[in-house]
This record gives sequence, structure tokens and C-alpha cells, in this order.
Amino acid sequence: MRREFSYMWRDRGLRNILLLGPLLGLFLFMAIYHTQNIKDIPTAIVDLDRSSSSREIAEKMKSTEDLKVVSYPANYQQMEELIRRGEIIVGVVIPENFARDVALHRHTRILMIIDASNTAYATNASTAVLGVTRTISAEAGIKTLLAQGMDPVTARNTYMAVDFKEEGWFNPTLNYIYFLVLAMALNMWQQCCTITASINIIGETGVKSWLQIKAAGFSKGRLFFYKSLAHIITFMVLVIPVYIFAFGVFKLPLACSFGTLLLFTLLFAIALHSVGTLMSSAANNAVDSTRFGMMVALPSFVLSGYTWPIEAMPKLLQPVVWIFPQTWFFQGFNYLSFKNPGWEFMGSYFCALLIIAFICYSLASLLTAWMER
Amino acid sequence: MKQLWNIAHYEFLHVLKDPILIIIVFIAPLFYACLFGAVYCSAILYDVPLAIVDQDNSVLSREIKTAFANDDSFRIIEGIDSYEEMEAGMKTGTLRAAIVIPRDLELRIYQHRPAQVLAVYDASNLIWGFNSRKFIREVVNDFSIRHTAARLAGEGFSPREIENIVNSVECNVTAWYNPNYSYSNYLFMGLMMLAVHQLGLFGVCLAVTREKERQSWIHYIASAIPSWKIALGKALPYLIMNFFNYALVLWISSRFVQVKIEGSVGLLAVLGILYLMTITFAGFIISLYSSNSLQATRYLMLLSLPLFMISGYTWPRSYIPEFINYIALLFPSSWMVLGIRMVSLKELGLDVLWPTILALSILAVLAVYFAMNFKKERKAPYIDGVNINGGISYPRKINRLQALRQQIRVSRLS
Amino acid sequence: MDEQQVLIEVSDLVQKFFLKTVLNGISFRLFPGESLGIFGLRGSGKTTLLHILAGVDRFTSGTVQVLGCNICKSQRFKQATGLVTQEPSLFQDLTVLENLDFIAGLKNAGPADIERVIDQMELKDCLRYPAAALDAGLYQRLSLACALLNAPRLMFLDELIKDIDLYSRHLMLQGLEPFLNSGGGLVCGFSNIEFADYFDRVGWLEKGQLEFYEPQAAREKWELLLYSFKKPGDVKNV
Repeated sequence: MRREFSYMWRDRGLRNILLLGPLLGLFLFMAIYHTQNIKDIPTAIVDLDRSSSSREIAEKMKSTEDLKVVSYPANYQQMEELIRRGEIIVGVVIPENFARDVALHRHTRILMIIDASNTAYATNASTAVLGVTRTISAEAGIKTLLAQGMDPVTARNTYMAVDFKEEGWFNPTLNYIYFLVLAMALNMWQQCCTITASINIIGETGVKSWLQIKAAGFSKGRLFFYKSLAHIITFMVLVIPVYIFAFGVFKLPLACSFGTLLLFTLLFAIALHSVGTLMSSAANNAVDSTRFGMMVALPSFVLSGYTWPIEAMPKLLQPVVWIFPQTWFFQGFNYLSFKNPGWEFMGSYFCALLIIAFICYSLASLLTAWMER
Repeated sequence: MKQLWNIAHYEFLHVLKDPILIIIVFIAPLFYACLFGAVYCSAILYDVPLAIVDQDNSVLSREIKTAFANDDSFRIIEGIDSYEEMEAGMKTGTLRAAIVIPRDLELRIYQHRPAQVLAVYDASNLIWGFNSRKFIREVVNDFSIRHTAARLAGEGFSPREIENIVNSVECNVTAWYNPNYSYSNYLFMGLMMLAVHQLGLFGVCLAVTREKERQSWIHYIASAIPSWKIALGKALPYLIMNFFNYALVLWISSRFVQVKIEGSVGLLAVLGILYLMTITFAGFIISLYSSNSLQATRYLMLLSLPLFMISGYTWPRSYIPEFINYIALLFPSSWMVLGIRMVSLKELGLDVLWPTILALSILAVLAVYFAMNFKKERKAPYIDGVNINGGISYPRKINRLQALRQQIRVSRLS
Repeated sequence: MDEQQVLIEVSDLVQKFFLKTVLNGISFRLFPGESLGIFGLRGSGKTTLLHILAGVDRFTSGTVQVLGCNICKSQRFKQATGLVTQEPSLFQDLTVLENLDFIAGLKNAGPADIERVIDQMELKDCLRYPAAALDAGLYQRLSLACALLNAPRLMFLDELIKDIDLYSRHLMLQGLEPFLNSGGGLVCGFSNIEFADYFDRVGWLEKGQLEFYEPQAAREKWELLLYSFKKPGDVKNV
């Protein structure tokens, strides 16, 4: 086991990757998402009317949280150009004669355009816009009613009948950092671990020194047990600073206790290691084994449903994604960090990881035994 | 020219003879396209599991209920009648949103007292969060208008008048480029471009490191052939295959995943060629200078996620700190993912795309220049004491199978 | 014209791997028609020296002129050199013929050259074998054939005839004769003193220094060294 630690240490490339990868990932993603959520969506207002009521609308747009009016193009074409260039996301066009039509209670139409090419961005923009449009049309309606001689209280009541209050649970500020940064850092960590694990068996049996071990008659089971132990200890040692930074320094939320999370991580580390071991027992040499490992590790984050929900994937794919330990881990991680739904719910996640580990280790040992026969 | 062709021809043969390379070059792009395609093929979220905790049980509350039930975005989960049940459901993920209608809602409204309906959504996954929030707002807007209309009708207004009042200022919200907020339009191409990037790099990376590991690289450097011919000859097959893959990915995504790929085909081709040239020759450079392919593989693999994140494809560039943006400019992937979106989704022309094309051209020229002018003499190899995980060597059963195949071939020949 | 007469001129060649000095100030000349054997035990730097001469490796300091070119500045000499490496370096996944064809492509040699070396090394029967499946002797013949493709004036052969069947050895030595007679130069690395007689001159490489001996003298030096380790009273010593 000491030998394994020194191996990992002396393999300079591996050392750099293991030491720096996850932490660097954490800092990088932290920096990328430092604004935390999508605010100040760049907006342009084309005011073709230039009247007091159109200015009122513009004021309203301005005061909307999340929207930030950055320019006032003179006409539609200019705004279109701005959207094309991606300088603004939302464009508002207030038509000519807006004030006159409003005064005459004629039907007018405000055009709002959202650049939906970045869907995450656009969903936010559209939510913000929907909020504004409601108030705008309500106010206009009230004005009309008032003009028709209805008393103000009834008029207001007609519109403000039911007030909806929105609450985003578990992450009330819709903070991207809480949602993505740690998960991504863990994803980096997960990939690093796969790299290490995928040289578990091949790293021994694939080099000539394997002859020495074979000749010495050292029990293979014991050898790989110690080796794996060394790997898993390393994995855990690596993830702890990530957690410390994430929860201690960056103050990310954690709903469950730190111990539970660590235990869960440990189980995942074992499961992950078992998968890597399986790869390494089947592969031809260390490079191929790393590639196989990566083929699984890279898309696994997308497949895990951490971002794009599993429920929205095709029915056929849904059972498949649950094969990967990464899916269990990232789903479970989301539950643990935000919700902490209790043991009876999380129990299945813990079990699943154990089962995966068990299956992969047994397969790996069978394969190795066959290879060495 | 003949030499060039010769190298390219045999490089191609190498690819065909190496199962791993065949996988990387031919199968993996297809595989990733199908995989990610399957993941994102539903493209938009719908059927958000929603519970309505109706503590009021009045006409109004039923009205609200129907408003949500009639919306495609939501799927009503029945049988959740208390706040506690709802809370538990939210925690275990069976619910992603909930509406809580308080006990005396109708009464309060009737008495013109303020009343509040609570709309809860799960923000622990922001994709759920954002979408549910948007859907809720849509339904609520809709509901308010209808509700107002109904009340006005109750007050004795004619439908025409109601129409006029309600729509006195109509706000028309249109989403351009991606009218139904489809996630496949948005994410899929970016992921695929990165997959092409990584797989392209891998293939080429193996080109030289493989020869180095098998010692045959020495024949290249011991002959008088100029380095540009080696670089070009080795890179050419990969360039062609990568371009083929690129076209294939585009085709699959538009045909099967229903990703919107419009805009000028010429521009797509130009972007593709520049992008692939950059990565192919960059891969060649990497493989020239990396000592073994294991290390190269590891670093490249780990880069994929950060590359995607810093490109500003998902998280808008203006929110990313300046210095990271500058770093991102150095990578062809950041230019490409944004460029492909501009062409395929926004259907922009050269007038907006010229910086992207210019940047990619510069990167391509740099890559080609450095690849073609490499120093042929290698650094004297230093035999490392512990070169554990790098090499091939001790034969395994799979290798033995290969050997068996060879022997059979030989015995058939003789 | 005198420059042209010298095939290789090495002066003060030094090669260091970080702190370890492998070649420490080597100087020698090689003339046309001469075959030089570099004798050295494992790790003494034979391969390093040959690779430097073939223009494969960079070196730390000194000047090396091969066929009148300073090898740091020009690649032209590579048109007229051939190299056989100690480690198997042919393309394992290609067949014999494909190997020949490919290396001919690299060296700008034509089909005629390929046929010539096939005849010379008697490879006709195994053209379609994968290189990885060849016996050691055949493999070396193929390596030599590849090196001979461009009809070189100078050859670097590393452990060419070590441990292989006698027929192949005979064939290869025979193949090299016309090459030497036509004024080619030969630099060979070897580690078995038995082979010393095949060369005109033997360079004894030890501790980074090269000393030259007549083949006979080299063998005597070897015997002397061998003798010096034996204890005076040993029975086998008689």
C-alpha cells in the first residue's frame, strides 16, 4: 500500500491532476459563476411614440428587477441589429401613436422580443417580461375601466383579484453557484478519480514488473485490495479540501449533516473506483483503459440528470442512466445538499452505490482471474 | 506530392487496423450524437409534476385548478391535500412545483380583502426552477385575464367591451430564433462541437505518440523528408475524417434530434473547416511534444468541461470575469460553439460573423504553421526510472488473441 | 574535395541527460569504405551515439559533420543514410511489403529500389506477413532492407546481427559487402566481442570516452579484462 501511494506520487502527471484538478475546477467555476444569478438582462427599448405614457412604460421596464435597459435604439431595424449581434436579449417596441390610442381606449400593442438562442437566459428574460406585461396590461385595463366611470376600488379589484406569491424553495435566490459550482467541481473530481482508478489493475498486470509479483506468489486479492484501499483513501483526501472550500469559504448551503455527505461521497468513491477497476481489468493497456473510463466519465454528468432532468429524457434512456454510479451520486447530492429528505428516502441511493460497487468489483476480479489464467 | 500521399495513405491504414482508433474516429462521434440527442430530444420541459393543495374548495379555487390542469406544461399530481404532504413530495422530488390555495380565499376576495395564493417551485435544480417559474407566470397571467374578463362579464359588460378593456394594451411577447425555448437547440450543438473537438484531438494525438511508443517515429526523423510533409500527411486523413464526422453530426442533429440548423451552409462549412484545421494540427503539435499518450489523454479529457464552461455558451459571457473571457479567446472551442450558434440558430451572415471567422483563421494558421515547422530532431530520450503507467508491455490475454490472429494469417499465407 | 572524402567528422561531442554525462567529448572520423564497430556494454551510450549521428537526437555540445553537412543546420545528409535501430521500430501493424513501401515513400525511393532490396534480403516469400509476426532474423533482414532502400552512402546499424539465425546473418553480411566496396561507410553498435573481426576498426565506448583499436587488439583487451577478474587459484583458470 505504501508502494501504491508512492507510485501515485511519483507519477508526476497523475500527481498534478489529482492535486490541482478538483480544486482548480472549483475556483474556476466559482469565478465563472461569480455573479450568482442572471440579473441585469440587457434590454433595449424602441420608443416610437415618445410620449409621457410610453415613457411610463419604459420606466416600468427599467424598474423591473432582472431587466436592465442598456440602450434606446431609434428604430426597429437598429434594435434587430442589436439582437443579432447578441448585445441585447430583450427588445421592447412601443408603437407610434401609443399615447393617442391609449387615450382613445383603442387597441394597442407593445411588441416584446426575446432572443431565445440561449434558452437558460431566455427563460429568465421571459419570466421577467411576463411579470411586467401583467402589470402593464392590468394598469391599462384599470385606466379604461376608470374612464368608463367605474369606481376605483371595484376597478382595482377586478384586476387584482388573486395575488400569486411565488416561492422558489431550496434555493430561493435561484443562485447558480449553489446549484452548479460544487457539482461541477465534484464532476472534475469524479473524472480525476476515474483516471486513477482506471490504472488500478492494468497498472500492475500491464507492465513487466507483474512478472515479479506473479513469481513471488503474492496473493492477488490482497495486492489489489491494498491498492484499492490506497486509491479510495486518496479520493477522499482529495475531496475533503473541495468540501472545506465550498462549505467553509464560499458558504454554499448544505441541508444535511457534513458526516452524511462524507459517507455518501465515500460510497460513491468506492462505486466509482469499482467501475474504474472494471475498465482496467478489461483493457489492453493503461491508455485504453483511461479512454474507456473517460468515455463513461465525460458524458455521465450530462446523463446524470443533474442539469437536464431525467424525467425529461426519453423513456428508453431513463433506466439506462441509473446504471451509472454518477447518476446516483449527483441526484443524491442534489437531494442531500438542498433538501435532506431523510434516511428512508436516501437509503436507496446508498444501497444502489453499494450494489454497483459489489457488481463491478466481482466482475473485475473474474475478468482478471480469466486474463491471468 | 507522392510522399505526402504515401504518408496519408498509410496513416489511414493505421487507423483502420487499430480498433481503438476506429472507435474514436468513426463510432464515438456517432455514439455521442445519439446519446446527447436522446438526452435532449424532448427539447422542452413539460409535464412538470405539480400539486395543488386546495384548502379552500371553492369555485374560485377550482377555477385556478383547471387553469393549471389545462396547461400542457404541468401534470397535476392528485391526492396531495395538505401542506405537509406537499412538503414531503417536494423533498423527495415527486413534486417540482405546488400551488397552495389558502382556506378562505374566495371569502376574502368576496370581501375585497387581499388574498394570496402561494406558488412554490423547486429551485434546487435550476432548470426545473426557471422553467416552473416561467410556466407558473404564464398560467397566472392567463388566469388573471380570464378571471378579470369573467368578472367584467358579471358586471354586465358585453364581450366586445371586455375584449377592448382587457386588451387595451396588449403585450405581444415573441421569442426569436428559438421560439419554444428548446433546450436541444440550445445545448446540443455546443456539446457536440466539444465532442468533435475532443475526439478530433484524440485521434490525431495518437498519430505521433503511437509511433513514438512503438519506436517507428525514428524512421520519420531519420529520413530526409521535410517536416511539413510529415505534418500534412499525418494530419490529412484525420482532417478528412473529422470533417466527415462534423457533417455527420450536423446531419444527425438536424434530421433526428430536430435541432434547428439553418443559415448558410457555406458559412457552416467554412467554420467547420477552420475549426477542424485548428484542432487537427493542434492535436498534432500536442502529440509531438507530449512524452506519452497516457498523459496527453488525461489532460485532454479533463479540459473538456472547463472549456465548455468558459466558452460562454451556457453562462453568458458578460457575466464571466474579464480575465477568464480573455483566456477563453485563446481556445478555438469558445469561438466555435458561439459561432455555430450564430449561424445555425440565429442565421446570421458574414457581417456579424467576421470576427469569429477571423479569429478561427488566425488560430488555424498558427496551428498549421507550428505543426509544419516542428524541429525534427527530438530531445534525447531520458529513460525515466519510474515510468510505470505509461507503457505497453506485459502481454495480456487480449493481446494474445491478436497474436493468434496474426499467426493464423501467417499460416494461411504459407 | 578533402571534405567530401570524410564521411563523418565528429569533434568534441558531448551528450548529457541532466546531470548524467553519457558521451563526454568524442572525436573521430570515418572514411569511405570503412566499417567502424562501436563496442560497448549495456548503457554505455552506443545507441545514443548512433542516433546522434543519424540526426535523430539532439546533443548537448560539439560539432558533427555527416557527409559534409553540419547536422544541426541541414537535413540533406539524411537522403543518403540508412538506420537500423536496436529496438524493433518498424510499423507493427503493417505487412512487410507495406513497411517497405511506406519507408520507400519516406525516403523518396521507387519501386525498383523495393524490388532490389527484396531480392537482396530474400524477403519474397513473406511479403504479406505482418511485421509483428516475423522471426527475429527475418525482422532484422527487413529492417536492413528498409535501411538500404535509398541506396545510402552511410549506414548506422545498431546490434544488427545479435542473437539471430546464422543464415540471416550471412545474408546480411553478404548484402553489406557491395555497399562497403562501393565506398559506403558503416557504423555499427555491438556488444558481443566475437563480432569485432567483422570491422576494420573498433571503437571501445566506455564512460563516455571512445578509444580505437584494431579488432584483434580489442579482443585482447577484452580477454585481459576478463582475466583480471579471475582469482589466481581458480581451477577453471587453467
